[in-house]
Amino acid sequence: MAILDQLGIDYPKIIAQIIVFGLVYLILSKYAFGPVTALLELRRSRIADGEANLEKIKENLSSSQAQAAAALAKANAEANRIVKEASDAAAAIAEQKKQDAVAEAQSIIAKAKEATELERSRVMDELKRDFGRLVIDTTSKVTGKTLGSEDHARLNKEALAQIAL
Amino acid sequence: MIRLTAFLFLLFPILASAAGGGHDSGHGEAEAKHEVSAKALPLLEHTSWAEWLTNSVFVAGLVTLGLLWFFRSAMQRKALIPGPKQNFVELIVEFLYGQVENIVGAKIAPSAFPLLATIFIYVSVSNWFGLLPGVGTIGFSSHVGALHSTAHVATPLLRPGTADMNLTLGIALCSLIAWLFITIREMGVWGTLLHIFGPKGGLKGGLKYALMPIFFIVGLIEVISILFRPMTLSLRLYGNVFAGENLLHTMSSLVKSGNATIDFLSSVLVPLPFYFLEIMVGVLQGMVFALLCAVFIKLSTTHDEDHDEAHEAH
Repeated sequence: MAILDQLGIDYPKIIAQIIVFGLVYLILSKYAFGPVTALLELRRSRIADGEANLEKIKENLSSSQAQAAAALAKANAEANRIVKEASDAAAAIAEQKKQDAVAEAQSIIAKAKEATELERSRVMDELKRDFGRLVIDTTSKVTGKTLGSEDHARLNKEALAQIAL
Repeated sequence: MIRLTAFLFLLFPILASAAGGGHDSGHGEAEAKHEVSAKALPLLEHTSWAEWLTNSVFVAGLVTLGLLWFFRSAMQRKALIPGPKQNFVELIVEFLYGQVENIVGAKIAPSAFPLLATIFIYVSVSNWFGLLPGVGTIGFSSHVGALHSTAHVATPLLRPGTADMNLTLGIALCSLIAWLFITIREMGVWGTLLHIFGPKGGLKGGLKYALMPIFFIVGLIEVISILFRPMTLSLRLYGNVFAGENLLHTMSSLVKSGNATIDFLSSVLVPLPFYFLEIMVGVLQGMVFALLCAVFIKLSTTHDEDHDEAHEAH
């Protein structure tokens, strides 16, 4: 008992110190450890959720990228097909137009040739007439006699026979 | 080693005095020898109903209020993005929880952590409180009477809580009760008894029954060692802190040249290295106390092979 007295060990003092320590325990448990561990757990779960969401977003992103790539490839193929069809159609139309143009040109040339021929024939007829009249007039003046219709016809015939081409 | 030697050196006169049947109150003798009293002293000396209010209980109250104020202010506006104080508290709590979880395991950690963390924080802060200016040097003296400050006061107003056996013993008793509670909750009454007295090492057959008396005697020794735990825990902590108080006190008054200036400077400079030592010792002792309690819990809640097999059979 003497050693207890020397060290000051006494039940009321022990009880007082236990009460003080108990208060500290309750205070820290209530205001520090409980809230902090709950907060740390909340933060941990949020970080875990965030990581899970990030993984999900990454998966979605890769899936979306794959879908986008597939859609793009499909669109490209479709576009190429359309372009090719358009190109083929354009080539066909161009060929048709070319054929039409050639036919039109040939038609125009044929018409021009026909018109030229008609003009030439008309000019030749006119030339023959002018030549015949010139021959008659010249003959009338040279001979000094008035030529009758038979003479006219004979002279025309002879002149035309001379210049017949 | 230095601290242990100092502690034994300081404890020796106490034990010798106790063996001689001395019943000195501590005031006069300590004052006469200019030593730090081995026990906490009542602040209201002539009031019988307030004998429990010693200078260490007073400091324990101050430490409690300080911790209350700090943790309340840190956690009052707790947020997911913490401020500096909350961050500091979270740092401590997370570190301690990790340590406790590593020792006692994830299953026991939630129930053991509050007590072990409280022990660590409270003991460390109480130890460091003893390093504040005025602790042990502001108080009452018989030849002056009123509150004053001097190198030697009979009844210091402030004494570190952990330099009082009542506090260290109180904490140790609390930890013993908590240990018993956690152990019985985890193992059950029969499991606890089996853990202490039962055969160990996975023995089976005749050898198991042959060695049962030996294991029973080992169990009795184990019970005695368990009952001694509060004493060893409390004496270790008290001895270290009390020795530290004495060390600082002795170093402060080591040089007595007669020249007031030299005495003053030496009283400041000589104990300075020991203050750094005491800062380290303060947190170390808090950690040792908490770690030992954690190890005790771990040892008593570890399921041995036979127990596991019984659990599996169920």
